[in-house]
Amino acid sequence: MLYVVLFFLLFSLLLYVMLGGADFGAGIVELFASKKNRSHTRDIIYRVIGPVWEANHIWLIIMLVILWVAFPAYFNIMVIYLHIPLTLVLLGITIRGVAFVFRHYDAVIDRSQFWYNWLFRIGSFVTPVFLGLSFSALIGGKIITMEEYAGSSFYDFFINPWFNLFGLLVGLFYAALCAFLAATLLIGESDGMEKSHFSRSSAIFTIMLVVLGFVLLTYGYIYEIKFVRDFIENPIAILCVVLSGILLLPLWKFIRQQRRIASRYMAGIQVILILFAAIVTHFPYFIITADQEISLLDNIAPESTITNLGWMLIIGGTVILPGLFHLMKSFKMIKVLEKP
Amino acid sequence: MENLDYARLQMAFTLGFHIIFACIGMVMPFFMVVSHYKYLKTRNPVYKKLTKSWLKGVAIFFVTGAVSGTALSFELGMLWPEFMKHAGPIIGMPFSLEGAAFFVEAIALGFYLYGWDKLPEKFHWFTGVIIGISGVASGILVVSANGWMNAPSGFDYINGEFTNIDPVKAFLNPAWFTQALHMTLAAFVATSFGVAGIHAYQIYKNRNVDLHLKAFKITIIIGTVAAFLQPISGDISAKDVAVRQPVKLAALEAHFETKKGAPLYIGGIVDVEKQTVTHKIAIPKALSFLAFGDFNAEVKGLNDFPKEEHPPVAIVHYAFQIMVGLGVALMLAGIVYLVSLKKKNWQKNKYYWLLFVVMAPLGFVAIEAGWVVTEVGRQPWIIHQIMLTKDAVTPMPGMKYSFFFYLFLYTLLAITVTWLMHRQIKSLNQNPN
Ligand code: HDD
Ligand code: HEM
Ligand code: HEM
Repeated sequence: MLYVVLFFLLFSLLLYVMLGGADFGAGIVELFASKKNRSHTRDIIYRVIGPVWEANHIWLIIMLVILWVAFPAYFNIMVIYLHIPLTLVLLGITIRGVAFVFRHYDAVIDRSQFWYNWLFRIGSFVTPVFLGLSFSALIGGKIITMEEYAGSSFYDFFINPWFNLFGLLVGLFYAALCAFLAATLLIGESDGMEKSHFSRSSAIFTIMLVVLGFVLLTYGYIYEIKFVRDFIENPIAILCVVLSGILLLPLWKFIRQQRRIASRYMAGIQVILILFAAIVTHFPYFIITADQEISLLDNIAPESTITNLGWMLIIGGTVILPGLFHLMKSFKMIKVLEKP
Repeated sequence: MENLDYARLQMAFTLGFHIIFACIGMVMPFFMVVSHYKYLKTRNPVYKKLTKSWLKGVAIFFVTGAVSGTALSFELGMLWPEFMKHAGPIIGMPFSLEGAAFFVEAIALGFYLYGWDKLPEKFHWFTGVIIGISGVASGILVVSANGWMNAPSGFDYINGEFTNIDPVKAFLNPAWFTQALHMTLAAFVATSFGVAGIHAYQIYKNRNVDLHLKAFKITIIIGTVAAFLQPISGDISAKDVAVRQPVKLAALEAHFETKKGAPLYIGGIVDVEKQTVTHKIAIPKALSFLAFGDFNAEVKGLNDFPKEEHPPVAIVHYAFQIMVGLGVALMLAGIVYLVSLKKKNWQKNKYYWLLFVVMAPLGFVAIEAGWVVTEVGRQPWIIHQIMLTKDAVTPMPGMKYSFFFYLFLYTLLAITVTWLMHRQIKSLNQNPN
């Protein structure tokens, strides 16, 4: 059953990174669109993301519940030492969530739209940055635990682990990934002028993604961040990165040929490759503190809990996945299924 | 104040905020579905308009409930890491089921919001029913987790270790049923009277009366039924507390000395130092009867328990009085409605409508008061008789800033949502049909 639970944990992580990411990314694309492109972007986002954005974000909650039920010791460290960046994530989620709904459901359309729009765009940008920051703190090797260093200051415990250049780079990398996903998704939902706008965005964000990825690895290597070193020295991880680099070529070709289904597959595969590379490097040691590596599988919940959780997830999954699938299909989210 | 106090304040504030939106999110879909059903039956466009405007309300409230709930799932860990570390694996079952319920709700909401004129009519209506059912299910599930904190079960506690964990038993803890029943009814009472009051105000102001009367009728009928059931369920809860948490019961009633045939105090000012309650109305033997169904049963007083295990008595007692008082008031309002069905001329009276306007916020006040009873009444324990709240709190200093941050953010959000509702109603009145 532990494998079932791990599967659902990784599955929800993947779906949150992709679907939640595309959601954030839509706001980022809107943020960086020129003034004349913003309004059509706004309308398309509402049409495409509207029916599913709520569901997309529940993956985060599922992930969280799995963590605290099955991996309490791991969750414990996360919530204590990442208190501040996680609070920032919550702030971002709150702001963009409400701004999205307010701008489409306010009964009166007036100047307040200006505020909703900007809060939505900025919230969409900062939330993935903060998510990246939080993740970087886990693997950045700067967390120090209180039992061992009673003498350290508030700054050492709660700020230093995430407030650094590496964290910012990881955050920006994830934001670029989100924008890349969204732009690629939106190409298939538009035509004419709009389509060329999204194609351009997609190309720009792909370049950003590659550049940021390169800077991130170089920085991590030079400043001896353990996770990055291990990543670079892991042949499988490097293979994944190279593969995803090579796959950029067919992706661009599909975008140019306007083959939206193939291009979505490509974008999805690239995210899976990057995520897989990151996970494979250090599984299951996903917390790297200043002097130890803490495994997800240390001190896991007792067997009865894991078995129960596994069954709940299987039952929940069989109820939800068909419904979700049907929702996406009804509103033509899954163009993948259409005959080209 | 200490770090712990701010952490508690933050928990109370954010939960108190979430519960309002959660209740509305649980109950509004039912109103919507009833109105939608009437539209499908009668094809009267007024019902369609009403459904659509309630729908917009649901969307706005839903998102606020969802984001504040997401924050809560993090907060449970961020504020009470020690609690979650041990409780998480035990009460995981309701939370994992709740995750599934949220999903079903979100999927159904997606269909319902975007499905007008796109889906087959009946199926579209049915997705609305699903929103309501899954909302109530998620409410029941979280409350079961809270019930476990009051009646911990499904594990053995040996030398500070939790062993032999049985998640199903923890989920079906002795408190889950009474609490879930009472909470679900409370959500119906509060939301029904809340919405009815808003429409009553529009009728009072003589705006678009046809529509608002229809809305009033749908909500007040549901509200009245729930308001009659609520005291019955409250009585079951009280009997349950009497057995499960006798200290809490004693605090609810500000009952200091153990007594046979104990009296029930209504109102009163509590002096914890002197252990007296002044300015009260005392009903002889009523407490023994309410708690145990026997006029001469012995009710344990606070003095039978060590001082350090007393919850803040005055707060709990006042909160309990407020809840019960409001429960009675809402039931009386329900009676007024029932009578007005016979005496039709009451509905022509302005004061009749004003009465329901005044009632609008009271159900929510009762909910907040009820939660204060449950949660403050459990103090100093976070898990009754197992773990102290002060042992569970985060080691991170500076919770003060965190509290004020949430205070600011949620106050702003509450103001915005209120303002948006105001605009919804205004636009409803401006373009009739
Ligand atoms: C509309 C709201 C409302 C109304 C009118 C009432 N209650 Fe209530 N009450 C709640 C809303 C509520 C609540 C907020 O929903 C609580 C908090 C925890 C819970 O399960 O329900 C609660 C808790 C609660 C508890 C504590 C349960 C526990 O700690 O496990 C008792 C003993 C009562 N109630 C009793 C009553 C009685 C005798 C009422 C008579 C009229 C009453 N309530 C009306
Ligand atoms: C008695 C207390 C509670 C009740 C009755 C309740 C009920 C609900 C309901 C009905 C919803 C659906 C949202 C809506 O329709 O507006 C909701 C949302 C939510 N609640 Fe609560 N809740 C309670 C406390 C909590 C607590 C303690 C947590 C955290 C552990 C929590 C986490 C959530 C989350 C994450 C959501 C968002 C789900 C979504 O995205 O749709 N709730 N709650
Ligand atoms: C939504 C309705 C709820 C409200 C309004 C509410 C209210 C409160 C209040 C007033 C406190 C502070 C008590 C004190 O410190 O004196 C508190 C504490 C707490 N509540 Fe609730 N509560 C609700 C539901 C829940 C649920 C469903 C859970 C768990 C699943 C929960 C878990 C906690 C925890 C962990 C604490 C902190 C520890 C403690 O003070 O005992 N609450 N809540």
